[in-house]
Amino acid sequence: MSDVPSTEEDEPLHILGSGVLNGRPRPFHHGIRLNIRGRSVTLRGLKHQPIGLLKWVLVLGPGLIAASAGNDAGGIATYSAAGARYGYDLIWVMILITVSLAVIQEMVARLGAASGRGLLDLIRERFGIGWTMLVVGLILVANTGLVVSEFVGIGAAAELIGLSKYIAVPVAAILLWYLVIFGSYRWVERVFLLMTLVFFAYPVAAILAKPDWGGVARGAFIPTIHFEAGYLLLLVGLIGTTVTPFMQLFQQSSIVEQGVARRHYGPERLDAYFGSVFSNFISVMMIIAAAATLHVAGQMELSSAADAARALEPLVGPAAEVLFAVGLLGASMLAGTVLPLATAYGVSEAFGLPKGVNLDFRRARLFFGLFTAMLVLGAIVSLIPGLPVIRWLLFVQVLNGALLPVLLVFILVLVNDPRLAGELKNSRLNNWLGWGTFTLITAAVIGMLVSQLLGSYLP
Amino acid sequence: MASIFLSNLPRSFWIEPAPPVGRFRLKLVDLVLGSLDEDYPAIKHLLLRPGQRGQPESLLGNSAREGSRVDWILPLDAVEMIQWEAGRIRVHAPGAIQAAERRADVQEVLLKRDILDNFIIDLQNTRVNRANDLLLDNGDGLRLRAVDTGLRALLRRASGGLYHGVHQGELQDWKYVEFLRGDPGAVEAGAGYYHRIERLPAGEIALLSGELPYLHSAELVLLLPIQLAADVLELMAPERQLQVFEELPEGYAVRVLEKMAPDIAADLVGHLSPEDVRRFLNRLPKISGERIVDLLRYPEDSVGGIMTNDVIVVRADWTVAQARDGLREQLEQPDFVYFIYLVDDEENRRLRGVVTLRNILIARDDQRMEEIMTPYLVTLSPLDSPRQAAYRLINNQLAALPVISQDGRLLGAVTVDAAVNLVAPGSWSAQAPRIFS
Repeated sequence: MSDVPSTEEDEPLHILGSGVLNGRPRPFHHGIRLNIRGRSVTLRGLKHQPIGLLKWVLVLGPGLIAASAGNDAGGIATYSAAGARYGYDLIWVMILITVSLAVIQEMVARLGAASGRGLLDLIRERFGIGWTMLVVGLILVANTGLVVSEFVGIGAAAELIGLSKYIAVPVAAILLWYLVIFGSYRWVERVFLLMTLVFFAYPVAAILAKPDWGGVARGAFIPTIHFEAGYLLLLVGLIGTTVTPFMQLFQQSSIVEQGVARRHYGPERLDAYFGSVFSNFISVMMIIAAAATLHVAGQMELSSAADAARALEPLVGPAAEVLFAVGLLGASMLAGTVLPLATAYGVSEAFGLPKGVNLDFRRARLFFGLFTAMLVLGAIVSLIPGLPVIRWLLFVQVLNGALLPVLLVFILVLVNDPRLAGELKNSRLNNWLGWGTFTLITAAVIGMLVSQLLGSYLP
Repeated sequence: MASIFLSNLPRSFWIEPAPPVGRFRLKLVDLVLGSLDEDYPAIKHLLLRPGQRGQPESLLGNSAREGSRVDWILPLDAVEMIQWEAGRIRVHAPGAIQAAERRADVQEVLLKRDILDNFIIDLQNTRVNRANDLLLDNGDGLRLRAVDTGLRALLRRASGGLYHGVHQGELQDWKYVEFLRGDPGAVEAGAGYYHRIERLPAGEIALLSGELPYLHSAELVLLLPIQLAADVLELMAPERQLQVFEELPEGYAVRVLEKMAPDIAADLVGHLSPEDVRRFLNRLPKISGERIVDLLRYPEDSVGGIMTNDVIVVRADWTVAQARDGLREQLEQPDFVYFIYLVDDEENRRLRGVVTLRNILIARDDQRMEEIMTPYLVTLSPLDSPRQAAYRLINNQLAALPVISQDGRLLGAVTVDAAVNLVAPGSWSAQAPRIFS
């Protein structure tokens, strides 16, 4: 044992970071105190309920930002298009779909906590490899479509601030790939998240645009149906972008990776509900903002991102395009990485192959291959000259909407399986809401397909 | 035919009984393994499912309850001839086939239900994989020989017989495999397992368990002997440790807790819900319960929160020979043994000095402990900053620093393991970038 007592100077104070002064004990944290065997004991791990408004914001903040970032390029295009074309007439769909989204997101979160496994994982265990291949195929198509639309978003944002998309998109793709593979992505992710804060401008812009609130209320609670193909198409698009199949995969995997155990699932339920309601609040505000500016001004069709940006004009005037570009870029970059990454992760997991960015290329070929392929494909397709941008974005959302019923069946069967969900299996109310959602969405999709077919064969 | 993949077996089999009864078709449901004592276990019987009608019920050795959905169990030793690839089975003994109700029998190992598509652990490469296909050897009966973990196996299965690619490197010898069902309850229910995992070192098992979903992790821990389970839990990342611990049956959990190092056990217990803490601490044996309660009195971000109180104590006025005798018993329990702390008496535990194991080994029997001890001590107080204590320990290049109360009583020691955990938190896997959160 050393007989020279160490001096305080020896200690690398600069690494301490906590700024604790020598020798002075830090104040006691008032954890939960218990009396056991006559002695007082402090428990450490219990989460304290936040007290006061500020703490609530601190706790919920990251979740809110993440939820608003869910409004990616395709979402912004769809909501703006819906507002511009049909004014407030589609808001009722958003109200209904918010309930559905909350119910579905909560279901998959519960499934994740109960089983400790991802959605594709469970589909494989419960339904076998054939069905898994089918679902993986569908997910790959839908998600690659989404990745394309994210790069379309990046390109559009670049053009708004005067950069050529033929430079911006390849640079963005390479940058994202590099950051994910070689590590500093966590930091950059926060920058992207901050950029998406721009979308908080939509509620303000919507109010400043002085919408006809009576009309908004009517649109929200009285379903108006236009009997035309475009209306159903947009309706399915709205569903697809709001309840994206990808979101379910992501939600479940994120619950699993956060280590939520089945015994502690309770509080997560509220998170799932709150996140869904909040992200849809922003979406509805986008529709209102677009309706109160574009629709009112008689601009029914969006032809470019600049048109969509005009919805922010009541708030920032001529700066609308730049502000819109910042938000669009942040959201697209964020989704442009998370989408291929989470897809590659889920698919590798379902196939029982190694996954994770910290692995060697040769160990995880499928994981890296899928991730890279989706990025490359997304960037290339989005650069095809003459690609009708807004139409593509809508098409991808419609495709997602059409795939949703398929995934929903799997989710509903899984979450009712006592072997997988155990005590957390669906309640009767949940099943009613789940199958109700399934029926409505399927009806909408079939209606849309029929109207499209009729539209293309009849004059 | 030497070997066949499970995926290449026909979906249904023609059963050819003795002449008066004509042949008929049954769907292959599953293959049931016999004893797991062998490295390559043999298939004991087949689980077959009758179609709508057309099966001569007279073949059954027993009769199923009216209206219950049944499968037919065909023991392979009652089979006269079987052609696996062609899907033909000739049965001779009438009544060899039994009807069994379709309910899950947890204890038996069914290839499709329990192994195929589930997680397996490749013990040679210490990796977690999924059983994408199973290779069966047809020599001395049909035996499970290897598991295919590659993408090719999936392509084979999905292509419906069009693709036949096999890669030797993706075949994992069944002798070095542990399989998991994903249900911690199955271990308690007496389901068959290999328990081969216990041959790996605790650190490797902890790493593997980090790659598995948490229910599988808990199942894995339940396969281990208590002491090893405690070691593995100690080495897990904190969140995973808690998830797994809460899935263990209570009696088992108490025994594991008892074997864990008290500092880690206290951290674990401190993260449980208040009712659980009370229940566990009351069920623990007196000594280990007291140790944990002692440690829980200190806040997490203090030296008391990271120290262990499982230290070896010897009276300073003993001779070396006395100390050696006394140590023999004490040394059986604690993990941390290099330093021996000298106190004036065991009740009071006023710290006098420290000796190392080496000091004791080289000292003469008749020397007093006081004579060989180091009386100059770097000590910590339980409410000191733990990070400073950790740097102090690392700077001094010591294995541990004693923690004493204000009146000089020995409370415990901060070990270098705890210090390193604090300064460089988490394992390599915990450092890996997260995708979803």
